[in-house]
Amino acid sequence: MADNQTDALIEAINFTQMLRASVTKVFDNLADGFQDSQGNEKALLNEFQKSLLAVNNDFNELERVGNGLYPLSVNSPNSVHLSIDPATDKTPLYSQLIQSYKWSNKAHELAGYVIGPLDQNAKLKRSMLIGSTLQAKKLRRVPPSGHAATTVYVDNIVTRLDQKMPDISMSITRPLGSSAILQVSLGKILKAVVALRGLIIEWVTVKGYQEDLYSEDGKVDLWSQSRYQVFRKVNDSATAATLHFYSPHNAELALQSFLHWFQSYKTLFSAPCSKCGKHYHQGSPPTWRDLRNTDPYHDVCKP
Amino acid sequence: MGVVCVYPYPVPEEKSGQQVVDTIQKQLELLGAHKSGNFFVDCESYQSNLQTATQQRLLHLFHNSEQPATCFSVLDNGMCLVSDLLFEVLILKLAEKKSGKDSYYQQRKGFKVESKGQRYELGDFIIKVGSVIVASNFRGILIEVEYSPCVIPSECWNLMKEFIQSFMGNIAENPPAHIKSKMDTVYTPEDTIQQYLEHFNNFRKATSASVPATPNR
Repeated sequence: MADNQTDALIEAINFTQMLRASVTKVFDNLADGFQDSQGNEKALLNEFQKSLLAVNNDFNELERVGNGLYPLSVNSPNSVHLSIDPATDKTPLYSQLIQSYKWSNKAHELAGYVIGPLDQNAKLKRSMLIGSTLQAKKLRRVPPSGHAATTVYVDNIVTRLDQKMPDISMSITRPLGSSAILQVSLGKILKAVVALRGLIIEWVTVKGYQEDLYSEDGKVDLWSQSRYQVFRKVNDSATAATLHFYSPHNAELALQSFLHWFQSYKTLFSAPCSKCGKHYHQGSPPTWRDLRNTDPYHDVCKP
Repeated sequence: MGVVCVYPYPVPEEKSGQQVVDTIQKQLELLGAHKSGNFFVDCESYQSNLQTATQQRLLHLFHNSEQPATCFSVLDNGMCLVSDLLFEVLILKLAEKKSGKDSYYQQRKGFKVESKGQRYELGDFIIKVGSVIVASNFRGILIEVEYSPCVIPSECWNLMKEFIQSFMGNIAENPPAHIKSKMDTVYTPEDTIQQYLEHFNNFRKATSASVPATPNR
Protein backbone atom coordinates (compact mmCIF):
# COMPACT_ATOMS: atom_id res chain seq x y z
CA MET A 1 0.00 0.00 0.00
CA ALA A 2 2.67 2.41 1.13
CA ASP A 3 4.88 1.32 -1.73
CA ASN A 4 2.12 1.98 -4.22
CA GLN A 5 1.73 5.34 -2.69
CA THR A 6 5.42 6.07 -2.93
CA ASP A 7 5.56 4.88 -6.53
CA ALA A 8 2.60 7.01 -7.42
CA LEU A 9 4.21 9.95 -5.72
CA ILE A 10 7.45 9.43 -7.57
CA GLU A 11 5.48 9.12 -10.81
CA ALA A 12 3.58 12.26 -10.01
CA ILE A 13 6.79 14.11 -9.33
CA ASN A 14 8.19 12.86 -12.63
CA PHE A 15 5.11 14.04 -14.47
CA THR A 16 5.28 17.36 -12.73
CA GLN A 17 8.87 17.73 -13.86
CA MET A 18 7.90 16.72 -17.40
CA LEU A 19 5.02 19.18 -17.36
CA ARG A 20 7.31 21.92 -16.17
CA ALA A 21 9.82 21.00 -18.85
CA SER A 22 7.23 21.11 -21.61
CA VAL A 23 5.69 24.32 -20.31
CA THR A 24 9.15 25.88 -20.08
CA LYS A 25 9.83 24.75 -23.65
CA VAL A 26 6.62 26.41 -24.86
CA PHE A 27 7.42 29.65 -23.08
CA ASP A 28 11.06 29.46 -24.18
CA ASN A 29 9.91 29.14 -27.72
CA LEU A 30 7.45 31.99 -27.27
CA ALA A 31 10.06 34.17 -25.61
CA ASP A 32 12.66 33.50 -28.28
CA GLY A 33 10.10 34.50 -30.84
CA PHE A 34 9.50 32.75 -34.08
CA GLN A 35 11.73 33.92 -36.77
CA ASP A 36 10.41 32.73 -39.98
CA SER A 37 13.27 32.98 -42.34
CA GLN A 38 11.99 30.63 -44.93
CA GLY A 39 8.36 31.69 -44.64
CA ASN A 40 7.44 28.29 -43.47
CA GLU A 41 4.69 29.47 -41.11
CA LYS A 42 2.82 26.26 -41.15
CA ALA A 43 5.76 24.28 -39.85
CA LEU A 44 6.21 26.71 -36.97
CA LEU A 45 2.57 26.54 -36.04
CA ASN A 46 2.73 22.76 -36.17
CA GLU A 47 5.70 22.76 -33.88
CA PHE A 48 3.92 25.12 -31.46
CA GLN A 49 0.83 23.00 -31.49
CA LYS A 50 2.93 19.93 -30.84
CA SER A 51 4.52 21.43 -27.76
CA LEU A 52 1.11 22.59 -26.49
CA LEU A 53 -0.21 19.08 -26.98
CA ALA A 54 2.75 17.74 -25.02
CA VAL A 55 1.87 20.16 -22.23
CA ASN A 56 -1.72 19.00 -22.40
CA ASN A 57 -0.67 15.34 -22.32
CA ASP A 58 1.65 15.85 -19.40
CA PHE A 59 -1.04 17.72 -17.56
CA ASN A 60 -3.56 14.94 -18.13
CA GLU A 61 -1.11 12.35 -16.95
CA LEU A 62 -0.34 14.34 -13.81
CA GLU A 63 -3.99 14.79 -13.12
CA ARG A 64 -4.56 11.05 -13.49
CA VAL A 65 -1.77 10.17 -11.08
CA GLY A 66 -2.82 12.95 -8.74
CA ASN A 67 -6.33 11.54 -8.48
CA GLY A 68 -4.84 8.21 -7.44
CA LEU A 69 -3.10 9.82 -4.45
CA TYR A 70 -4.77 10.13 -1.04
CA PRO A 71 -3.82 12.01 2.09
CA LEU A 72 -0.85 10.30 3.79
CA SER A 73 -1.96 10.35 7.38
CA VAL A 74 -5.33 8.73 7.22
CA ASN A 75 -4.91 7.21 10.64
CA SER A 76 -4.03 10.45 12.35
CA PRO A 77 -5.97 13.15 10.62
CA ASN A 78 -5.16 15.68 13.29
CA SER A 79 -1.48 15.36 12.55
CA VAL A 80 -2.15 17.06 9.25
CA HIS A 81 -2.57 20.27 11.15
CA LEU A 82 1.02 19.95 12.23
CA SER A 83 2.09 20.40 8.69
CA ILE A 84 0.56 23.85 8.53
CA ASP A 85 2.40 24.93 11.62
CA PRO A 86 4.41 27.94 10.55
CA ALA A 87 7.22 27.10 12.98
CA THR A 88 8.07 23.91 11.18
CA ASP A 89 11.77 24.58 11.19
CA LYS A 90 11.87 24.82 14.96
CA THR A 91 9.79 21.73 15.56
CA PRO A 92 10.40 19.13 12.91
CA LEU A 93 7.54 17.15 14.32
CA TYR A 94 5.60 16.51 11.22
CA SER A 95 8.47 15.19 9.19
CA GLN A 96 9.49 12.93 12.04
CA LEU A 97 5.93 11.74 12.35
CA ILE A 98 5.78 10.82 8.71
CA GLN A 99 9.13 9.10 9.02
CA SER A 100 8.03 6.99 11.97
CA TYR A 101 4.76 6.23 10.29
CA LYS A 102 6.67 4.81 7.40
CA TRP A 103 8.91 2.85 9.75
CA SER A 104 6.07 1.31 11.64
CA ASN A 105 4.33 0.38 8.42
CA LYS A 106 7.47 -1.30 7.24
CA ALA A 107 7.97 -3.13 10.52
CA HIS A 108 4.41 -4.35 10.41
CA GLU A 109 4.88 -5.64 6.93
CA LEU A 110 8.13 -7.46 7.82
CA ALA A 111 6.50 -8.94 10.88
CA GLY A 112 3.83 -10.30 8.60
CA TYR A 113 6.49 -12.10 6.56
CA VAL A 114 8.27 -13.43 9.64
CA ILE A 115 5.23 -14.88 11.35
CA GLY A 116 4.91 -17.58 8.73
CA PRO A 117 8.28 -19.30 9.27
CA LEU A 118 8.14 -18.75 13.06
CA ASP A 119 4.74 -20.34 13.32
CA GLN A 120 6.16 -23.58 12.01
CA ASN A 121 8.85 -23.61 14.69
CA ALA A 122 6.46 -22.90 17.53
CA LYS A 123 5.10 -26.41 17.39
CA LEU A 124 8.53 -27.91 18.05
CA LYS A 125 9.37 -29.20 21.52
CA ARG A 126 11.85 -27.27 23.55
CA SER A 127 14.13 -30.21 24.10
CA MET A 128 14.61 -30.34 20.32
CA LEU A 129 16.02 -26.84 20.41
CA ILE A 130 18.52 -27.79 23.11
CA GLY A 131 19.69 -30.70 21.05
CA SER A 132 19.51 -34.11 22.65
CA THR A 133 17.07 -35.51 25.17
CA LEU A 134 19.93 -36.58 27.42
CA GLN A 135 21.02 -33.03 27.93
CA ALA A 136 17.48 -32.03 28.61
CA LYS A 137 17.20 -34.55 31.43
CA LYS A 138 20.27 -33.13 33.09
CA LEU A 139 18.86 -29.64 32.95
CA ARG A 140 15.49 -30.56 34.40
CA ARG A 141 15.18 -29.77 38.12
CA VAL A 142 15.47 -32.61 40.56
CA PRO A 143 12.07 -33.05 42.22
CA PRO A 144 12.11 -32.14 45.95
CA SER A 145 12.70 -35.13 48.16
CA GLY A 146 12.55 -33.57 51.61
CA HIS A 147 9.14 -35.01 52.36
CA ALA A 148 10.19 -38.52 51.38
CA ALA A 149 13.13 -39.01 53.72
CA THR A 150 13.25 -42.44 55.31
CA THR A 151 12.71 -42.89 59.02
CA VAL A 152 16.30 -44.04 59.60
CA TYR A 153 17.62 -40.98 57.82
CA VAL A 154 15.40 -38.68 59.87
CA ASP A 155 16.49 -40.41 63.08
CA ASN A 156 20.15 -39.98 62.18
CA ILE A 157 19.79 -36.34 61.38
CA VAL A 158 17.83 -35.57 64.51
CA THR A 159 20.38 -37.38 66.68
CA ARG A 160 23.17 -35.44 65.03
CA LEU A 161 21.39 -32.11 65.47
CA ASP A 162 20.66 -33.01 69.08
CA GLN A 163 24.37 -33.50 69.72
CA LYS A 164 25.27 -30.38 67.80
CA MET A 165 22.99 -28.07 69.77
CA PRO A 166 23.79 -28.22 73.46
CA ASP A 167 20.85 -26.10 74.60
CA ILE A 168 18.24 -28.19 72.91
CA SER A 169 17.21 -31.69 73.79
CA MET A 170 15.07 -33.60 71.34
CA SER A 171 13.20 -36.85 71.27
CA ILE A 172 11.33 -38.51 68.44
CA THR A 173 7.99 -40.24 68.61
CA ARG A 174 5.93 -41.61 65.75
CA PRO A 175 2.33 -41.69 66.87
CA LEU A 176 1.03 -41.14 63.36
CA GLY A 177 2.85 -43.76 61.34
CA SER A 178 6.08 -42.87 59.61
CA SER A 179 5.92 -39.12 60.22
CA ALA A 180 8.11 -38.10 63.09
CA ILE A 181 7.04 -35.83 65.92
CA LEU A 182 9.92 -34.04 67.58
CA GLN A 183 9.61 -33.01 71.19
CA VAL A 184 12.05 -30.21 71.68
CA SER A 185 12.83 -28.75 75.06
CA LEU A 186 14.92 -25.69 75.55
CA GLY A 187 16.46 -25.63 79.01
CA LYS A 188 13.91 -24.75 81.66
CA ILE A 189 12.33 -22.12 79.47
CA LEU A 190 10.00 -23.75 77.02
CA LYS A 191 9.06 -26.87 75.12
CA ALA A 192 7.86 -27.38 71.61
CA VAL A 193 6.31 -30.06 69.47
CA VAL A 194 7.48 -30.10 65.87
CA ALA A 195 5.58 -32.28 63.43
CA LEU A 196 7.69 -33.42 60.48
CA ARG A 197 6.75 -34.87 57.14
CA GLY A 198 9.93 -36.53 56.05
CA LEU A 199 12.27 -33.75 57.05
CA ILE A 200 9.93 -30.88 56.26
CA ILE A 201 8.49 -29.00 59.21
CA GLU A 202 4.75 -29.07 59.03
CA TRP A 203 3.59 -27.79 62.39
CA VAL A 204 5.02 -26.22 65.50
CA THR A 205 3.42 -25.85 68.91
CA VAL A 206 5.26 -23.97 71.63
CA LYS A 207 4.44 -24.35 75.30
CA GLY A 208 5.81 -23.42 78.67
CA TYR A 209 8.26 -25.49 80.67
CA GLN A 210 5.55 -26.54 83.12
CA GLU A 211 2.86 -27.22 80.58
CA ASP A 212 2.15 -30.75 79.49
CA LEU A 213 2.87 -31.81 75.93
CA TYR A 214 0.57 -34.79 76.29
CA SER A 215 -3.18 -34.57 76.22
CA GLU A 216 -5.33 -36.39 78.75
CA ASP A 217 -5.48 -39.59 76.73
CA GLY A 218 -1.70 -39.84 76.70
CA LYS A 219 -1.15 -38.73 73.10
CA VAL A 220 1.16 -35.96 72.04
CA ASP A 221 -0.91 -32.81 71.97
CA LEU A 222 -0.20 -31.05 68.70
CA TRP A 223 -3.08 -28.65 68.58
CA SER A 224 -3.84 -26.95 71.85
CA GLN A 225 -2.39 -23.52 72.53
CA SER A 226 -0.27 -22.51 75.46
CA ARG A 227 -1.92 -21.06 78.55
CA TYR A 228 0.49 -18.16 78.52
CA GLN A 229 0.45 -15.16 76.25
CA VAL A 230 4.21 -15.13 75.86
CA PHE A 231 4.36 -18.67 74.48
CA ARG A 232 1.45 -18.03 72.15
CA LYS A 233 3.46 -15.14 70.72
CA VAL A 234 6.54 -17.33 70.42
CA ASN A 235 4.37 -19.92 68.69
CA ASP A 236 3.28 -17.37 66.11
CA SER A 237 6.86 -16.34 65.37
CA ALA A 238 7.93 -19.98 65.17
CA THR A 239 5.21 -20.76 62.66
CA ALA A 240 6.31 -17.79 60.60
CA ALA A 241 9.91 -19.00 60.86
CA THR A 242 9.02 -22.44 59.49
CA LEU A 243 7.79 -20.69 56.38
CA HIS A 244 10.88 -18.53 56.24
CA PHE A 245 13.23 -21.50 56.47
CA TYR A 246 11.10 -23.74 54.24
CA SER A 247 13.21 -25.35 51.55
CA PRO A 248 12.03 -28.69 50.15
CA HIS A 249 15.25 -29.22 48.20
CA ASN A 250 17.44 -28.94 51.24
CA ALA A 251 15.17 -29.96 54.07
CA GLU A 252 18.00 -30.90 56.39
CA LEU A 253 19.44 -27.41 56.25
CA ALA A 254 15.98 -25.96 56.74
CA LEU A 255 15.44 -28.02 59.89
CA GLN A 256 18.87 -27.15 61.16
CA SER A 257 18.43 -23.42 60.57
CA PHE A 258 15.04 -23.51 62.20
CA LEU A 259 16.39 -25.24 65.30
CA HIS A 260 19.35 -22.90 65.40
CA TRP A 261 16.97 -19.95 65.34
CA PHE A 262 14.70 -21.60 67.87
CA GLN A 263 17.66 -22.06 70.19
CA SER A 264 17.84 -18.30 70.61
CA TYR A 265 14.70 -18.49 72.75
CA LYS A 266 16.75 -19.77 75.64
CA THR A 267 17.09 -16.11 76.59
CA LEU A 268 13.37 -15.46 76.12
CA PHE A 269 12.93 -13.95 79.58
CA SER A 270 16.40 -12.61 80.19
CA ALA A 271 17.42 -10.81 76.97
CA PRO A 272 16.52 -7.14 76.61
CA CYS A 273 15.09 -5.82 73.34
CA SER A 274 17.78 -4.86 70.84
CA LYS A 275 15.96 -1.70 69.88
CA CYS A 276 14.53 -0.16 73.03
CA GLY A 277 16.92 -1.87 75.46
CA LYS A 278 14.12 -2.83 77.81
CA HIS A 279 12.75 -6.15 78.96
CA TYR A 280 9.15 -5.34 79.65
CA HIS A 281 6.62 -4.12 77.11
CA GLN A 282 2.86 -4.50 77.49
CA GLY A 283 2.99 -7.59 79.64
CA SER A 284 5.62 -9.44 77.61
CA PRO A 285 9.36 -9.79 77.25
CA PRO A 286 10.85 -9.44 73.73
CA THR A 287 9.16 -12.39 72.02
CA TRP A 288 10.39 -11.92 68.46
CA ARG A 289 13.79 -13.08 67.29
CA ASP A 290 15.42 -11.80 64.13
CA LEU A 291 15.51 -14.61 61.58
CA ARG A 292 19.06 -13.87 60.47
CA ASN A 293 21.00 -12.81 63.54
CA THR A 294 18.51 -13.97 66.25
CA ASP A 295 18.49 -10.59 67.97
CA PRO A 296 15.58 -10.21 70.39
CA TYR A 297 12.91 -7.58 69.71
CA HIS A 298 9.52 -6.67 71.08
CA ASP A 299 6.62 -7.10 68.71
CA VAL A 300 6.41 -3.36 68.25
CA CYS A 301 10.18 -2.84 67.97
CA LYS A 302 10.74 -5.16 65.00
CA PRO A 303 13.14 -3.69 62.45
CA MET B 1 2.90 -21.41 88.76
CA GLY B 2 5.66 -19.01 87.97
CA VAL B 3 8.07 -16.86 89.88
CA VAL B 4 6.56 -14.78 92.67
CA CYS B 5 8.01 -11.74 94.40
CA VAL B 6 6.32 -10.37 97.52
CA TYR B 7 7.11 -6.87 98.67
CA PRO B 8 5.73 -4.82 101.56
CA TYR B 9 4.40 -1.46 100.43
CA PRO B 10 4.94 1.39 102.86
CA VAL B 11 1.87 3.22 104.12
CA PRO B 12 2.57 6.88 104.81
CA GLU B 13 1.30 8.09 108.16
CA GLU B 14 -1.05 10.68 106.76
CA LYS B 15 -2.86 8.13 104.59
CA SER B 16 -5.05 5.21 105.49
CA GLY B 17 -4.30 1.75 104.21
CA GLN B 18 -7.38 1.73 102.02
CA GLN B 19 -6.33 4.96 100.31
CA VAL B 20 -2.93 3.52 99.42
CA VAL B 21 -4.53 0.29 98.15
CA ASP B 22 -6.90 2.34 96.00
CA THR B 23 -4.01 4.32 94.51
CA ILE B 24 -2.09 1.18 93.62
CA GLN B 25 -5.17 -0.42 92.10
CA LYS B 26 -5.89 2.66 90.05
CA GLN B 27 -2.30 2.66 88.84
CA LEU B 28 -2.54 -0.99 87.84
CA GLU B 29 -5.73 -0.39 85.94
CA LEU B 30 -4.05 2.46 84.09
CA LEU B 31 -1.29 0.06 83.11
CA GLY B 32 -3.94 -2.14 81.52
CA ALA B 33 -4.42 -4.79 84.18
CA HIS B 34 -7.87 -6.25 84.67
CA LYS B 35 -9.47 -7.61 87.81
CA SER B 36 -9.67 -11.37 88.12
CA GLY B 37 -11.27 -11.94 91.48
CA ASN B 38 -10.07 -11.92 95.06
CA PHE B 39 -7.29 -13.73 96.83
CA PHE B 40 -6.15 -14.52 100.32
CA VAL B 41 -3.13 -15.99 102.03
CA ASP B 42 -3.56 -16.83 105.69
CA CYS B 43 -1.41 -18.23 108.43
CA GLU B 44 -2.23 -19.77 111.77
CA SER B 45 0.43 -20.72 114.26
CA TYR B 46 0.58 -23.67 116.61
CA GLN B 47 2.96 -24.24 119.46
CA SER B 48 4.30 -27.63 120.41
CA ASN B 49 3.24 -28.65 123.85
CA LEU B 50 5.43 -31.60 124.73
CA GLN B 51 6.63 -31.85 128.31
CA THR B 52 9.79 -33.69 127.34
CA ALA B 53 10.94 -31.18 124.80
CA THR B 54 13.31 -28.55 126.10
CA GLN B 55 12.17 -25.92 123.70
CA GLN B 56 8.81 -25.01 122.24
CA ARG B 57 8.59 -25.30 118.50
CA LEU B 58 6.32 -23.28 116.26
CA LEU B 59 4.35 -24.63 113.35
CA HIS B 60 2.81 -22.24 110.84
CA LEU B 61 -0.13 -23.47 108.84
CA PHE B 62 -0.67 -21.60 105.56
CA HIS B 63 -3.43 -21.48 103.00
CA ASN B 64 -3.08 -19.82 99.66
CA SER B 65 -6.09 -19.21 97.43
CA GLU B 66 -3.88 -19.85 94.41
CA GLN B 67 -3.54 -23.49 95.56
CA PRO B 68 -6.97 -24.01 97.11
CA ALA B 69 -6.66 -27.74 97.80
CA THR B 70 -3.30 -27.54 99.52
CA CYS B 71 -2.09 -26.50 102.92
CA PHE B 72 1.48 -25.65 103.73
CA SER B 73 3.01 -26.28 107.11
CA VAL B 74 6.23 -24.51 107.91
CA LEU B 75 8.37 -25.17 110.96
CA ASP B 76 10.30 -22.35 112.52
CA ASN B 77 13.53 -23.78 111.15
CA GLY B 78 12.17 -23.29 107.63
CA MET B 79 11.21 -26.89 106.91
CA CYS B 80 8.08 -26.95 104.81
CA LEU B 81 5.52 -29.67 104.30
CA VAL B 82 3.14 -29.39 101.38
CA SER B 83 0.06 -31.48 101.91
CA ASP B 84 -3.56 -31.98 101.14
CA LEU B 85 -6.08 -29.81 102.90
CA LEU B 86 -7.01 -32.75 105.14
CA PHE B 87 -3.75 -32.28 107.02
CA GLU B 88 -5.43 -29.38 108.77
CA VAL B 89 -7.92 -31.76 110.35
CA LEU B 90 -5.00 -33.79 111.72
CA ILE B 91 -3.47 -30.70 113.27
CA LEU B 92 -6.83 -29.76 114.81
CA LYS B 93 -6.99 -33.24 116.37
CA LEU B 94 -3.49 -32.84 117.73
CA ALA B 95 -4.51 -29.52 119.23
CA GLU B 96 -7.41 -31.09 121.18
CA LYS B 97 -7.17 -32.09 124.80
CA LYS B 98 -7.90 -35.76 125.25
CA SER B 99 -8.78 -37.69 128.43
CA GLY B 100 -7.06 -35.26 130.73
CA LYS B 101 -3.86 -35.33 128.72
CA ASP B 102 -2.44 -32.11 127.36
CA SER B 103 -2.65 -31.68 123.61
CA TYR B 104 0.43 -32.06 121.44
CA TYR B 105 -0.07 -28.71 119.85
CA GLN B 106 -1.67 -25.54 121.06
CA GLN B 107 -3.01 -22.78 118.86
CA ARG B 108 -1.52 -19.39 119.59
CA LYS B 109 -4.32 -16.95 120.13
CA GLY B 110 -4.28 -13.60 118.37
CA PHE B 111 -1.54 -14.79 116.05
CA LYS B 112 -3.58 -15.29 112.91
CA VAL B 113 -2.26 -13.26 110.01
CA GLU B 114 -4.03 -12.81 106.74
CA SER B 115 -3.33 -10.93 103.56
CA LYS B 116 -6.26 -10.49 101.24
CA GLY B 117 -7.44 -8.24 98.49
CA GLN B 118 -7.91 -7.85 94.78
CA ARG B 119 -6.20 -10.05 92.18
CA TYR B 120 -5.19 -8.50 88.84
CA GLU B 121 -3.92 -9.93 85.59
CA LEU B 122 -1.83 -8.15 82.97
CA GLY B 123 -0.64 -10.37 80.16
CA ASP B 124 1.19 -13.16 81.92
CA PHE B 125 1.65 -11.17 85.10
CA ILE B 126 -0.55 -11.70 88.14
CA ILE B 127 -0.59 -8.89 90.65
CA LYS B 128 -2.15 -9.19 94.07
CA VAL B 129 -2.61 -6.18 96.28
CA GLY B 130 -3.17 -7.50 99.78
CA SER B 131 -4.04 -5.76 103.02
CA VAL B 132 -2.35 -7.52 105.92
CA ILE B 133 -4.59 -8.12 108.90
CA VAL B 134 -3.11 -9.31 112.19
CA ALA B 135 -5.74 -10.29 114.77
CA SER B 136 -8.39 -8.36 112.81
CA ASN B 137 -6.34 -5.15 112.71
CA PHE B 138 -4.97 -3.64 109.51
CA ARG B 139 -1.20 -3.70 109.64
CA GLY B 140 0.15 -2.94 106.20
CA ILE B 141 0.19 -3.78 102.54
CA LEU B 142 1.86 -6.69 100.78
CA ILE B 143 2.10 -6.71 97.01
CA GLU B 144 2.65 -10.00 95.28
CA VAL B 145 3.76 -10.05 91.65
CA GLU B 146 3.85 -13.33 89.78
CA TYR B 147 5.27 -13.94 86.32
CA SER B 148 3.58 -17.18 85.46
CA PRO B 149 5.38 -18.54 82.33
CA CYS B 150 8.85 -18.64 83.88
CA VAL B 151 10.12 -20.94 86.62
CA ILE B 152 13.71 -19.80 87.04
CA PRO B 153 13.95 -16.55 89.04
CA SER B 154 17.30 -15.47 87.61
CA GLU B 155 15.91 -15.68 84.05
CA CYS B 156 13.01 -13.34 84.55
CA TRP B 157 14.19 -11.17 87.44
CA ASN B 158 15.15 -8.23 85.22
CA LEU B 159 11.84 -8.40 83.43
CA MET B 160 9.93 -8.53 86.71
CA LYS B 161 12.03 -5.73 88.17
CA GLU B 162 11.17 -3.48 85.25
CA PHE B 163 7.50 -4.30 85.59
CA ILE B 164 7.37 -3.93 89.38
CA GLN B 165 9.22 -0.64 89.25
CA SER B 166 6.74 0.67 86.71
CA PHE B 167 4.06 0.91 89.39
CA MET B 168 5.84 0.57 92.73
CA GLY B 169 8.95 2.65 92.26
CA ASN B 170 12.25 1.67 93.77
CA ILE B 171 10.96 -0.80 96.33
CA ALA B 172 11.98 -3.67 94.10
CA GLU B 173 15.63 -2.84 93.69
CA ASN B 174 16.69 -6.31 94.79
CA PRO B 175 14.96 -9.67 94.66
CA PRO B 176 13.34 -10.80 97.91
CA ALA B 177 15.84 -12.31 100.32
CA HIS B 178 14.38 -15.77 100.11
CA ILE B 179 14.60 -15.86 96.30
CA LYS B 180 18.09 -14.41 96.29
CA SER B 181 19.45 -17.61 97.79
CA LYS B 182 17.93 -19.79 95.05
CA MET B 183 17.98 -17.73 91.87
CA ASP B 184 18.83 -20.63 89.59
CA THR B 185 16.51 -23.31 90.89
CA VAL B 186 12.98 -24.07 89.82
CA TYR B 187 10.53 -21.95 91.71
CA THR B 188 7.82 -23.76 93.68
CA PRO B 189 4.67 -22.58 95.51
CA GLU B 190 6.53 -23.37 98.71
CA ASP B 191 8.87 -20.46 98.04
CA THR B 192 5.90 -18.10 97.93
CA ILE B 193 4.81 -19.31 101.35
CA GLN B 194 8.31 -18.82 102.72
CA GLN B 195 8.26 -15.23 101.53
CA TYR B 196 4.89 -14.63 103.13
CA LEU B 197 6.09 -16.19 106.38
CA GLU B 198 9.00 -13.82 106.51
CA HIS B 199 6.76 -10.79 105.97
CA PHE B 200 4.08 -12.04 108.36
CA ASN B 201 6.70 -12.53 111.07
CA ASN B 202 7.89 -8.97 110.53
CA PHE B 203 4.32 -7.67 110.85
CA ARG B 204 3.80 -9.70 114.02
CA LYS B 205 6.98 -8.36 115.54
CA ALA B 206 5.89 -4.83 114.66
CA THR B 207 2.52 -5.56 116.26
CA SER B 208 3.94 -6.92 119.50
CA ALA B 209 6.32 -3.99 119.64
CA SER B 210 3.50 -1.51 119.21
CA VAL B 211 1.06 -3.26 121.60
CA PRO B 212 2.61 -1.88 124.82
CA ALA B 213 2.51 1.55 123.26
CA THR B 214 -1.26 1.58 122.78
CA PRO B 215 -2.32 2.06 126.44
CA ASN B 216 -0.19 5.18 126.69
CA ARG B 217 -2.10 6.89 123.91
